[in-house]
Amino acid sequence: MSPFRLPAASRAPAAALALLALPFLPARAHEGHDHGAPQPPVSKTIAPRGEAASAAFELVAIPRGDALVLYLDRFATAEPITDATLEVETPDGPARAEASPDGSYRLPAPWLATRASKDDHLDLVVTVTAGTDLDVLPLTVALPKAAEPKGAEPKGAEPKGAELKGAESARAGHEAGHAGEGWLHRLAEGLTGRLSARDPGAGLAAAGGFVLGLAAMGLMRAGRRAPVLAVLVLAATLVLGATAFAHDGDPPETRAAFVPPPTDLAQRLADGAVFVPKPTQRLLSLRTQVAAEAAFRRTVSLPGRIIPDPNASGVVQSSVGGRLAPPPSGAFPRLGTKVRAGEVLALVAPPVQRVDLSDMRQRQGELDQQIAIVQRRVDRYQKLSPSGAVSQVQLDEAQDELKGLKDRRTALDRIRQEPEVLTAPVGGVIAEAAAIAGQMAAPGQMVFQIVDPGKLWVEALSFDVLTPAADATARLADGRSLPLAYQGAGLADRNQAIPVQFAIQGGSGGLRVGQFVTVLAATDAEQSGLALPRASVVRTANGQDVVYAHTAAERYEAKPVRVAPLDGTRVLVEAGLQPGTRVVVQGAELLDQVR
Amino acid sequence: MLQRFLTAGALAIALPFCAHQACAHEGNGDKGGRIVDAGPYHIELVTKDRRVEVWVYDAKEKAVSPAGFKGTAILVVGGKPARVVLTPAEARLTGEAEVSLGANPKGVVQITGPDGAAASGKFN
Repeated sequence: MSPFRLPAASRAPAAALALLALPFLPARAHEGHDHGAPQPPVSKTIAPRGEAASAAFELVAIPRGDALVLYLDRFATAEPITDATLEVETPDGPARAEASPDGSYRLPAPWLATRASKDDHLDLVVTVTAGTDLDVLPLTVALPKAAEPKGAEPKGAEPKGAELKGAESARAGHEAGHAGEGWLHRLAEGLTGRLSARDPGAGLAAAGGFVLGLAAMGLMRAGRRAPVLAVLVLAATLVLGATAFAHDGDPPETRAAFVPPPTDLAQRLADGAVFVPKPTQRLLSLRTQVAAEAAFRRTVSLPGRIIPDPNASGVVQSSVGGRLAPPPSGAFPRLGTKVRAGEVLALVAPPVQRVDLSDMRQRQGELDQQIAIVQRRVDRYQKLSPSGAVSQVQLDEAQDELKGLKDRRTALDRIRQEPEVLTAPVGGVIAEAAAIAGQMAAPGQMVFQIVDPGKLWVEALSFDVLTPAADATARLADGRSLPLAYQGAGLADRNQAIPVQFAIQGGSGGLRVGQFVTVLAATDAEQSGLALPRASVVRTANGQDVVYAHTAAERYEAKPVRVAPLDGTRVLVEAGLQPGTRVVVQGAELLDQVR
Repeated sequence: MLQRFLTAGALAIALPFCAHQACAHEGNGDKGGRIVDAGPYHIELVTKDRRVEVWVYDAKEKAVSPAGFKGTAILVVGGKPARVVLTPAEARLTGEAEVSLGANPKGVVQITGPDGAAASGKFN
């Protein structure tokens, strides 16, 4: 026999118990008839208020003295609307709420003072016109508790009387309407409430009474009168003492004295949700976004480095060894100087060795001697040539020879005096300069590096082959991100990876060559989820990633989520969030600081 | 035998709870209009051309006499709000709008009961 099978006799009571338990189960589908959402716990330090929302607007109303202060925001983005028209249907007829300089709306409400003291809520209808959007919002405002008449019963049994929010009071009213159909229902709700509250006092009292009763029964059976009396007296003392204590501990005056006046403070409620009043929301500039599910390409993140565009950068090297000298302008270009292509950056004067020098002098002397001889010959021929004694051919040859010798002599001078001119191969900015006047430059040594800061590339190391069409972004350490365009990938292996090059699209200001970036490149694999800005995910103290969902006008709930990187600015929420949730995308860090 | 009684008893107790939780109120009413909750009441809104009629029911869908009630309907017509004051007439609250309201205008109906408590229902 299976251990789970019960004998037929005990099966029926089991079924009966199960059936009885059904209505007490907390999960209740109550379709179509909103008796009020499960009321969020409220704090005693929050003033009574009311809220209403539609697809376009979110409205919060707070009674302040003899006026009603209204805050209007866009529903989806939580952006304050300060230039709307609010027509309110009040007990005294329609009235218009005037915009205040602080972004709220103020409705004079003399009817707040004259209301009946039993009213704990007020039903208003607000017609909101903002630009082309128009909506009519029913608004239930909870009212501050009126001064209690003297001798009224302490409201011990109704601990949340004053803080009933609009929805709850509406629900209370509604349930009164349902009174005829469900005293049993209410009894059941009361019992489940007590049990779920796990009041230790009630349990202890019940257990104590049971033990005392047992003792009394036992003693009576034993036929002893005196101990029975003693036990009964003990029981009576305990019960009376407890009631006296209960009254002592909860006198209405002291309670009133110790309850601080409601001041709206951002606070973390007992259930972990965060209450942020509208003025604070505006101070923190909280903004939300409705999360929508979509398919996104998976991205891989690659370590990358900024490199100059190979076609828009260059190095200036000396081809000969020599002494560096500033260009004719007088000074070497400094770092960061803009240079044009072809601009002279430095001069290199090659040194002439001593042996070379003597060789050159010797050659120079020879040339000078030959030039003198040929010069004399040319002179003589020029005198004789008109008489026909020397042919014209001889004269021409002598002249050519003289010219050739003079050229050689000039070249010899130039080699001794003229330095090598170093010019900029491309236009750009001097990125590196190693020139000092008088320094001896080795052949092939880089003297300047020129980079065009408007044309920078990123070289990343990828472990798998990226598709050429894949779009990519680069994320900098400071959170900025740059769009990238794929340029090409190498095939030669480098550190078990291949280098992939991207051109930075748009502005590349503030970047430097060699800076490390994280490249996020899309791959072919698609994944679905909710894309959210990176700033909306907050890491909590226990290391979990959470996003804050805007569940009610002034209530935010932290939702633990699993995120995957999507691109430079967004993350993909893979689990933990329902589509359609309003998620805080701006100011989430500040919201997380609320204690 | 005892077990059967227990089962039957449990069923008898448990069923009303379940039935209560399954009931739904919103939808279409007897008068061909839309029914929504408004505080302790359920209200049905019928619009015919410029005429607005509101029937008031209690929580058990039993008609409530409109005597002593007053109401205001703010309905959105063509991107503009139309405010209609409702007064009791026969078994309903009724009022006349300045413009034709169309078939199912969205908006809010606020009723104030004889005890002065206001309640509103939203029609989408």
